[in-house]
Amino acid sequence: MSLRSVVAACAAGVVAAKAALDVALPEPALLHPPGAQHGGKFAAQCVKCGKCIEACPYQALHAAPLDAGAKAGTPVIDARAQACRLCADFPCVAACPTGALAPVAAREDVRMGTAVINRDLCLSYKAMRCEVCYRACPLIDEAIYINYGAREGDSIHAVFAPVVVEDKCVGCGLCVERCVVGEPECAIRIEPATQRRAREQQGAQAGGGSGQGAHEGGGPGKGAHAGDGPGKGA
Amino acid sequence: MDITRRSFVKATAVALASAAAAGTMSGMVGCSSAGSGGAASGETTKTVGVCRFCGCGCGVIVEAKGGKIVSVTGDPDNQSNKGLNCVKGYYLASVLYGADRLTTPLIRDDKSTKGTDGGLREATWDEALDLVAGKMRETWKADKSRLAFWGSGQQPIVEGYCTAKFWKAGLLSNNIDPNARLCMASAVVGFMNVFQTDEPAGCYADIDETDTFVTWGANMAEAHPMLYSRVMARMTNGKGVKHYDLTTLWTRTSANATKVLVFKPGSDLAIANAIANYLVTNDLYDHAFVADHLQFKQGTENIGNATEDTYDASEIGSKVDAVTGITFEEYAARLAPYTLEYAEELSGVPAADIKELADEFADKSRRMLSLWTMGVNQHNRGTWMNHCIYNIHLLMGRYARPGDGAFSLTGQPTACGTAREVGTFSHRLPADLLVAQEAHRRYTEAIWNLPNGYLDAIKKPGFHTIKIFRELSKGNIDFLWSAHNNWAVSLPNLTRFLGRGDKKGVMDAFICVSEVYPTLSTQYADVVLPAAMWVEREGQFGNAERRTAVFEKAAIDPPGEAKWDLWMLMEIAHRVLDGEQIGGEDAFDVLFGEWYDKQARDFKGDQREISRSVWEEYRTFSNPSLNPDAEAINKEAKLKMENKQLAPYDLYIENHGLTWPVREVDGQWLPTKWRFCDGKQEDGFDEYGVEMYGKHDLAGGVSFYKSAGAKPSVVFRPWEPPAELPDAEYPFVFCTGRLLEHWHTGSMSRRVAELDRALPEALLDMNPDDCASLGVSDGDMVRLTSRFGTCDIKVSTAGRTRPPAGLVFAPFFAEETLINLVVQDTYCPLSKEPDYKKTCVRIEKI
Repeated sequence: MSLRSVVAACAAGVVAAKAALDVALPEPALLHPPGAQHGGKFAAQCVKCGKCIEACPYQALHAAPLDAGAKAGTPVIDARAQACRLCADFPCVAACPTGALAPVAAREDVRMGTAVINRDLCLSYKAMRCEVCYRACPLIDEAIYINYGAREGDSIHAVFAPVVVEDKCVGCGLCVERCVVGEPECAIRIEPATQRRAREQQGAQAGGGSGQGAHEGGGPGKGAHAGDGPGKGA
Repeated sequence: MDITRRSFVKATAVALASAAAAGTMSGMVGCSSAGSGGAASGETTKTVGVCRFCGCGCGVIVEAKGGKIVSVTGDPDNQSNKGLNCVKGYYLASVLYGADRLTTPLIRDDKSTKGTDGGLREATWDEALDLVAGKMRETWKADKSRLAFWGSGQQPIVEGYCTAKFWKAGLLSNNIDPNARLCMASAVVGFMNVFQTDEPAGCYADIDETDTFVTWGANMAEAHPMLYSRVMARMTNGKGVKHYDLTTLWTRTSANATKVLVFKPGSDLAIANAIANYLVTNDLYDHAFVADHLQFKQGTENIGNATEDTYDASEIGSKVDAVTGITFEEYAARLAPYTLEYAEELSGVPAADIKELADEFADKSRRMLSLWTMGVNQHNRGTWMNHCIYNIHLLMGRYARPGDGAFSLTGQPTACGTAREVGTFSHRLPADLLVAQEAHRRYTEAIWNLPNGYLDAIKKPGFHTIKIFRELSKGNIDFLWSAHNNWAVSLPNLTRFLGRGDKKGVMDAFICVSEVYPTLSTQYADVVLPAAMWVEREGQFGNAERRTAVFEKAAIDPPGEAKWDLWMLMEIAHRVLDGEQIGGEDAFDVLFGEWYDKQARDFKGDQREISRSVWEEYRTFSNPSLNPDAEAINKEAKLKMENKQLAPYDLYIENHGLTWPVREVDGQWLPTKWRFCDGKQEDGFDEYGVEMYGKHDLAGGVSFYKSAGAKPSVVFRPWEPPAELPDAEYPFVFCTGRLLEHWHTGSMSRRVAELDRALPEALLDMNPDDCASLGVSDGDMVRLTSRFGTCDIKVSTAGRTRPPAGLVFAPFFAEETLINLVVQDTYCPLSKEPDYKKTCVRIEKI
């Protein structure tokens, strides 16, 4: 998905939300760099100086385009083109003169967003051996694990279903960059932290749950967390 | 490429829907326009194929329309992959349509341009063929030892057969070897030493029936994706199924193992011997099986390492194959030092874990399946380690029985079918026959219609792969032809072989490369011959479970002037053999006249007819009754050639592949799933083999009728250390391998946009503690330096593999990283297969 379409979709979403609900306008759903503060702090403190954009060694950061409204000019990531590589020393944060990007202690503490798998498009859910997102994940076995399930009508193959652990996924988007599925769209996307929070708030106001449903925890077959994580028995 | 993902998905859906409607796909057989070229009309044609990539051998259905492939989907009638693929197979169609396909012959006029992007100009086929054949003939006439062919476990069977015939009978040269030397040679020598017949007794169905998996040096989760899906299905669906993973680094295969035994490089020999010792010492072994089936041996020990060029001819190097018979008691005495504690000391694996695995082997209420690949084979004691695994299984009577076996996995699509079964090795003839054995030469002469004694000229084996390239680097090879491989990326010690040092050999030699894409190998070629790829022609692969399968020519043509490899071979062969005679007759016509008309410069039939006809001759090797002279030699010399019996060609198409031996029973050809295991042929057992040459009612219900004295050999092999041990100068062990997204040197998979996106660069996986002590972080570039060479690579601590401290891992697919500049070319002294797994290196941040 191109940045333009992300922005367009977000803009449409904002308009729809504004029309439908007389609530505070949620922040536009853009993927910002590590350390971007929530609750409007980032937008308030970012002076759009571009220093973080210059500092990124992977050219992952770009200025949000003009149609991003108040967010235009703030640093954003198009994960499909170039994901955040979670540098150990966070040069983008270090370069920020205002604190809009607040210091992050470790890559595990980053909260840019959460990966969401589209199971209708994902090859792994069709029992193909793909799992590219899982092996690409910088927090493999923590942020994404594989749930091994039986394949219906086939006793000799397993389904290797990647499952995102919402509390662990930092939203770097490397899974999105690497996903082999591109049409009609990528089989995995990042829901930016702001968007997720807005959705959860809406869900809470509407008396719904925590938004868990959109992320579908379990995977196919028996839903148990099959991988006990790294180092088991090693 | 003009297939969008959307249309591809749509085509896939249509294909699956039509298959579902028909209930079966077997009705598609024969609807191809094989041999007739591209379909001009808009009709969609479907053909049966096999995946181009690994040794799993997954079946595929190929759909073509308007002269292009529109979809490749898993073959639902293939009983192994059941319509599924890994991500490489899923995007298989794209490998044909890379933007830079080679479409015209290329010639290099100025040798000084070797090793660069430029220097090749377009040429006509006549000019290229005349040049190649002229150089080959000139070298051949001057000094036969200075020419060589380097083939492949990807060369389809019919071509491999004709290449071997041309080299061995036409040129009377044994300087032909395949890249399978780099991956399977240790397994082959293991099979030959233990069973006197190559390839596993079991099959993939063992995975579905076993109770305990043991992986030895095998990252199946990445290197054998669809087979590992079967492992995980068994782990998921079966009750109490266990998996022990023995490895030098924690991999994706370790992720689901019941227990992971991470051992110090090279100490697997000690662990295996400790298990065998435990079984013998505690009287847990299968006495009846030992009495009925086994003989015991020991061999030459303290064999040093084959690092120097002089090793093979050295005093110890020339004795490495020697073995002598010993008693069971003597064998037990040799094992005795290998206590659990000693194994722990050498390996770092707790004695209790080794005991647990040994107890698992001892528990006959459970079936056990060992699986192994490159960690065992690419080992300075690779052949020995193959022995050690068989020793355990044979002591416990766990071999050749459903779910109870030892299975050597292969990495290439036809390492078994071509390199091993046809015998494109420097010491082999077709069907397990050896050039050094007189009866084997006579048998081959009978089938090849050669004068008696004609092949005595090749009774001495030729150069193995590393020898070929070492001689090339010294300027002792004048002509090299390579096909279906990418030696300039896959060979170890490329610092030497690419002439980054003494450039003489690789620059001066005349090198012909048959290829489909530009590679580093074509950068060193004097002539590049553009080849038809995969289903642009008809071909045959033989996978790891002895399954031979045909991939039909789809209704497409090769691009530009690209040609079938067999046509290139015929065109070069008749030029080189011009005026030569065999037994008073034209040499080319004796060898190939039945199939090729050299005056007309064309085959005497379409690709299907030629393939079938060549196959019929090849098949005679395993069906001696088809040739009275061969039949007489088979009987007299007790060759038991029927042990690898192959069926007529068309059966393989109709059945979407068959596992040999294939037996004719009441007009039907039935495959064998478990060689040497007594039982009904229709249930997959080796009924007719046992009936013909074996015995019923032996222990375990098996009969090893092809082994000498009908008894496989348990050969004691001690632990000896790796060729290099870490020291102050080179403190890390460097292990290399394959990852799921890319296949081998990436010359195909990296041209698939989706796969390139999925894994765009080769990374060096490191232990975080090592990173901390070196002051490097994830994403940093480092320089790897060994005694052999240097390369630069980016560090990863993400954890795809998790090396212990002191060990690092990188995949070999990326030519821009070219890790093989660093890797040692030290090889197993018995199999001559290089050890890619434990080169000592130092690491510096750059």
